[in-house]
Parts: sequence; structure tokens; C-alpha cells
Amino acid sequence: MTATSLILIFFTAVVAALGLLTAMRPELTRASGGKILAFLALCVLPALALWAGANEHLERSTSTQFCLSCHVMSEYGKSLTVDDKSYLPAAHFQNNFVPRDHACFTCHTDYTMFGDYKAKWRGLHHVEVEYFGKIPKPEDIHLYTPYNNRECLHCHLGARKFEEASSHHKNPDLLAQVKANKLSCMSNGCHDIVHDVSTLGDATFWKPAENAQ
Amino acid sequence: MSSDRIEKRIRWSGLLVVAGLVIQIFTMFWTHPLAFMCFILVGCPLVAAGMVLYLFSLVTHHST
Repeated sequence: MTATSLILIFFTAVVAALGLLTAMRPELTRASGGKILAFLALCVLPALALWAGANEHLERSTSTQFCLSCHVMSEYGKSLTVDDKSYLPAAHFQNNFVPRDHACFTCHTDYTMFGDYKAKWRGLHHVEVEYFGKIPKPEDIHLYTPYNNRECLHCHLGARKFEEASSHHKNPDLLAQVKANKLSCMSNGCHDIVHDVSTLGDATFWKPAENAQ
Repeated sequence: MSSDRIEKRIRWSGLLVVAGLVIQIFTMFWTHPLAFMCFILVGCPLVAAGMVLYLFSLVTHHST
């Protein structure tokens, strides 16, 4: 548990204690000091605690641990550690091209102002399916919309390795098409091995060093 | 409004806020979609209801 979480828990507990004091001794509000206490304990501080709690939960919901907590996603988690660098997620995860504790979210959220909230809304639907719906097989899970190159270009655009790679200059307009999202980075013959969970049955897996996690 | 009635509302308001905050504290110990759902669907509405009841009691107190 992080220091931020502990501070938030402590703060929320203090606010709850003040709220309890006001609830148990409402006659305190007859004095002006009690009125201020009640206003703080029942309005200002709970609003602050909620805001901080919502921020903390939203931050946690971007963690790899959170994404992989649904059973159906465990195969996708395994594809991060498959011992084969041709798997795009594995190459990114194992080489720290994405932060390991936020690996899923780094590549799967639109980088727009409310993109992450939209993803949360879809996430609520996923939880509903996990507990009350028919859970699809991992290989039957698909993205809502075709993967947008923007998520790749967010990091790769301008990088020398990306801009000067010979494979990116096979055609004179290839790079322009990629940058305009007209040609997917994951097109056949390019970076087309992504999670491919149906092929993980016989795969071997890499174990990160303990102090690197 | 009588002071008894406003104090009764403040008591309920406080209990709602405390219930919501206690749920929030419990959800903080668990990184899981269910903890997130519990916070959003149970904790937040309880705290919000407590705050609204408190503000409502203030408004009705001053207007009568």
C-alpha cells in the first residue's frame, strides 16, 4: 500500500470520526463553534474525502493488477510475459517500454480529455458481464474500435528508431499513412503479433527479477 | 423548524456520512473492480445523501 493510500485512509478516518461526533452530539450545533464543526464535518471534509477517494480509485483502476483481476483477462496478462519478443505486448512490457504497473492502460486508453472516464464506463459493463453475464473466451474478446495508431505514436513519434527504421521506408508514403492512422501499425506483415492468446498454450514465459517488479 | 427536528436531521446526516466514509475506507484496502464499484455505487451515494440532508436541514431551518 502506498503512502498516498495510507494518508487518504487516515484522513477519511478523521473525517468519519468528526462526522460521528456530530451525529452523536448534534446539540453541539447550538453554539457557533458547533455550527462550524458540523459544516466542516458534514459538508466540506466529506466532499474532500470523496474527491480524494475517487482520484485514488481512478488511479488504481489504471493499474495492471486491476485490469488483470478479472479471470478472463489472465491470458492477456500471460501474453505480457511470454518469452518471445515478436509478441508486441511482451516486448514492451519486458523492456520497460511501458510502465509495468500500468501496462494495460498505457496502450489501451485514448489520450483525450475524457478518454479514461469513457474507459471506466466500459469497465463497469465488463464487471457486470464478469459477475452476471456470459463471459466470452479470451480469444473472442475484441476491441470496441480498431486500434488507433495514436496510442503507439504517443511514444514512438519522433523517435529515431521509429523514424529511420528501414521497414518503415519500404514504401515512400508508408510512414505518412501510419502517422495519419490510415495504415495500422498492426497490419499483416508489420507488428501483427499482439496478444494472440490462443497461441499461448505451448509458450514459455519470462520471469522478471524480483527486485525489478 | 424546531431545534429537535434539525438536530435529528443532523444526526441522520452524520450517520449517512460516516457510513459512506467507512465503506470508502474498506474499499481502499483492495485494488479490484468490485472495490471501485462499491465505492462508486454505495460509498459515494451515502456520503452525498448525508451532505444533501445536512444542507437541506440548514436551508429549511433558515427559511422557516
